[in-house]
Amino acid sequence: MLDIRNLTKRFGETEAIKNVSISVPDGAFLVLLGPSGCGKTTLLRMLAGLELPSEGQIIFDGQTVSDGDRNWSVDPAKRNSGLVFQSYALWPHMSVRGNVDWPLKVMGMPKADRAERVREVLALLDIGPLADRYPNEMSGGQQQRVAIARTIAPKPSVLLFDEPLSNLDAKLRVEMRTELMRLHRATGATTVYVTHDQIEAMTMASHVAVLNHGRVQQFGAPADLVDHPETAFVATFVGTPPNNMVPVLKNGTGYKVGGRHMPMTPPADECLAMVRAENMALSDTEGDTTLPMELVETSAIAGRTMVTGLRDGLRLTAIVDRAPKAGIGDIVQFRLPPQPDSWFGPDGERIG
Amino acid sequence: MADATTSGAGRRVHFRQGTVLKAAVLAILIALIVLPLLRTVLFTLQPDTVRAWSDVLTGRLSTNLFYKPLGNTLMIGVIVSTGCVLLGGFLAWLVVMTNVPYRKTIGVMATLPFMIPSFAAALAWGALFRNDRVGGQVGWLQGMGLDIPDWLAWGMVPTLIVLTLHYFSLAFTIIAAALATVNSDLVEAAQIAGAKGRRILMGIILPVTMPALVAAGSLCFAGAVSNFATPALLGLPVRMQTLSTRLFGMIEVGQVGRGYVIGILLVLISGAFLWAGNRIVSGRRSYATITGKGGRAKRFDLRGARWPLFAVAMGILSAATIVPVIVLTASSLAPSSANLFSGWTLHYWIGQSDPSFAQGIPGIAYNEDIVRALTITLALGLAVAFTGMVVGLLASYTTARFREGWMSAAITQISFLPLLVPGIAFGAAYIAYLGAPIGPLPALYGTFALLVIAGTAYLLPFSVQTGRAVIQQVGGELEESARLTGAGFLRRLGAITVPLAIRGLAAGGILIFVKIIRDLSLVVLLFTPTMPVLSVLAYRYASEGFGQFANAITVVILFLSIAATLIAHRLQSKSQPWLQN
Repeated sequence: MLDIRNLTKRFGETEAIKNVSISVPDGAFLVLLGPSGCGKTTLLRMLAGLELPSEGQIIFDGQTVSDGDRNWSVDPAKRNSGLVFQSYALWPHMSVRGNVDWPLKVMGMPKADRAERVREVLALLDIGPLADRYPNEMSGGQQQRVAIARTIAPKPSVLLFDEPLSNLDAKLRVEMRTELMRLHRATGATTVYVTHDQIEAMTMASHVAVLNHGRVQQFGAPADLVDHPETAFVATFVGTPPNNMVPVLKNGTGYKVGGRHMPMTPPADECLAMVRAENMALSDTEGDTTLPMELVETSAIAGRTMVTGLRDGLRLTAIVDRAPKAGIGDIVQFRLPPQPDSWFGPDGERIG
Repeated sequence: MADATTSGAGRRVHFRQGTVLKAAVLAILIALIVLPLLRTVLFTLQPDTVRAWSDVLTGRLSTNLFYKPLGNTLMIGVIVSTGCVLLGGFLAWLVVMTNVPYRKTIGVMATLPFMIPSFAAALAWGALFRNDRVGGQVGWLQGMGLDIPDWLAWGMVPTLIVLTLHYFSLAFTIIAAALATVNSDLVEAAQIAGAKGRRILMGIILPVTMPALVAAGSLCFAGAVSNFATPALLGLPVRMQTLSTRLFGMIEVGQVGRGYVIGILLVLISGAFLWAGNRIVSGRRSYATITGKGGRAKRFDLRGARWPLFAVAMGILSAATIVPVIVLTASSLAPSSANLFSGWTLHYWIGQSDPSFAQGIPGIAYNEDIVRALTITLALGLAVAFTGMVVGLLASYTTARFREGWMSAAITQISFLPLLVPGIAFGAAYIAYLGAPIGPLPALYGTFALLVIAGTAYLLPFSVQTGRAVIQQVGGELEESARLTGAGFLRRLGAITVPLAIRGLAAGGILIFVKIIRDLSLVVLLFTPTMPVLSVLAYRYASEGFGQFANAITVVILFLSIAATLIAHRLQSKSQPWLQN
């Protein structure tokens, strides 16, 4: 059980983390997802014990390891956790074997056991033949594997990853994703994984916490976030392609939707209508719920076509069966469904 | 899964992280840098010394005491910094942007003059250009039958030339670094836009490098106005005073209050220019040129001008490096500087005392004063290198680890404060600070400790910078990841930090060593006969007319500096298995 209770972190005047509470069971794969600067790395560093929270507690397996209210902190090394740094932080003057071996040596493991454990984790990560190389003699992907091997060698019960794939190229990233999930199954360690890439979050996580401006926007299973986004931020940050968010404003007796009067009945005078890309359609002619948009992008996706239109800062995306005949820069009619998928208030909270 | 169980050995964090360390470092820096300066200012404000301010600024003697030296000082500052930027900029442009032959050689030679102490060049100038105006030996050119006019032998013109030839390498280093970041993409983008050579230079290259030009100019200005050795050797014999020679003179004759006032004014002037330079280049006008994947810069083709420009560059560089070394060496061997290259003798090096020769002064190998000075100088160099690196590392570690808070900001600001303070003014401040007993502590004037403390404080900006480079190499996540394994502080130091940092530390220490053993301006006021150092001895011999001894000592200093610098370079590039790629 990994328990984060009312955690707050202040750096001087600025609050990097605001009253965050998250709880996941043993063996969970928790992804902290958010844009850069949202506080997700700060949260991870507090879990690792590198930063002390200003308020609130962190509890691993029933044991409080950090308590900002009492200024109490268990030493990073005694939390039974391991952290894989974004930069890998491999010690450049030690070979691969040395990098993996040294933490075990510090733990006081006997020499024979150490050699066996090093061999085991190098094999697990498929880098056995590289044991005598130095970090600068390897590719980024290989360095990444060494960093992971070094972290899992002491068998931590909590594994922490700080954007581990951000320095890899696209193809390697997909491979490492699979690799990390395999590793998670093999070790069974509770894993906390920080990323800004929602695809990583959706594919790997058992639990996702979406963070923005230091607050948890929504916490739940990946499918929950897609099916029931709690805030407009989550709705536009999660999912491929992102959901459409159309502003609605009361005008006289009717409502202007995306700047045009439409026969809709929103729950508030001013709100946002969320429409999933797959429920958005294109129309050859103007209709009750169509919006004229300038066509800016089309791209083929899994046998269908993703079409993006732009007007007055409003960006709409539709997934359609057939590509429109119009060319880029032409006006096309996007047709909204009679009833949007959800409603959000102007403050971003879900209202229906 | 957990077989390494959480032991629950938590601990209470009493202070915010790093508070104790920050406070300790801040206290050290205040004791080393702020208190001496403060004490100097307070000294001049005492009832019986406050008069010194009016004497210097408005009194009957103020013209001679302050305004004339100020005029000379500013003239030196403006002309030397302009000359340095032009000369350094020209060489940097040749090396970085053009296809001049032997670019690398020019680049290396352009950084050498800064390794040569500025008094070496001044002494060499004397050995070549001295005329009979002030008596004593004449220089080689006069000896060859040329009639050297006074303006070329003494005073402002030779001071300007020698200082420009000394400080231009500082400008070169800064401007070359800036030019190197001007990506060829920038120039190519301008070419595609249709701009031609001149237009590109004025519209793109100059504006982008402007911050570097201004920085180079203000650093050369600050260096030139605070230089002591050159105006003292070339200007004082004909009564040309600058603020730094005035300050020296006042303290030598015991008018300490006036000396301190002049020192404070000198600090304000050089500080104001550095501050102004910094203001100009900060903010909107400083550009972070994005280097990214810019290809190899395409070099500007000089065509027919390649070899002529090469000759010009080599001429200037030889005058600044090779010529002084040759002249000094020859002059330490020749009985008469009028005949530099004949009648050579090793007397000035290894001769026994002989009443018929140089008033019975033995060669430097048998001269007890000089041998003692050599020992003290070497010990001073080692001690300052050690203490400097310790304090520098401590300060840079503290600010790198705990960035937040006013204390970290204060540590950074204070550690760079000595940059604003000319060496001779810093020396004066240390006399005011530790020259007299403080409470139970004895006066340190004339002790080795004073030299070490003052040297450490004076070179702190440099050692902090070196420390920062070292910390950047090993700090941050590399250290954190070691901390996560549970290794204690000493163990991390031994297994991670030291192995990674040792070369950088050694190189930094050696460069501090070089800086202190060839320094004259700081130690010239702290010097006492019981605690002699080589550079001051050389200066004394030179001003008493024993040029050969001065030059022989200078050659020793030169040799030590160059040898140590080469060792530092070797250490920096020495191969280690994890650096081979």
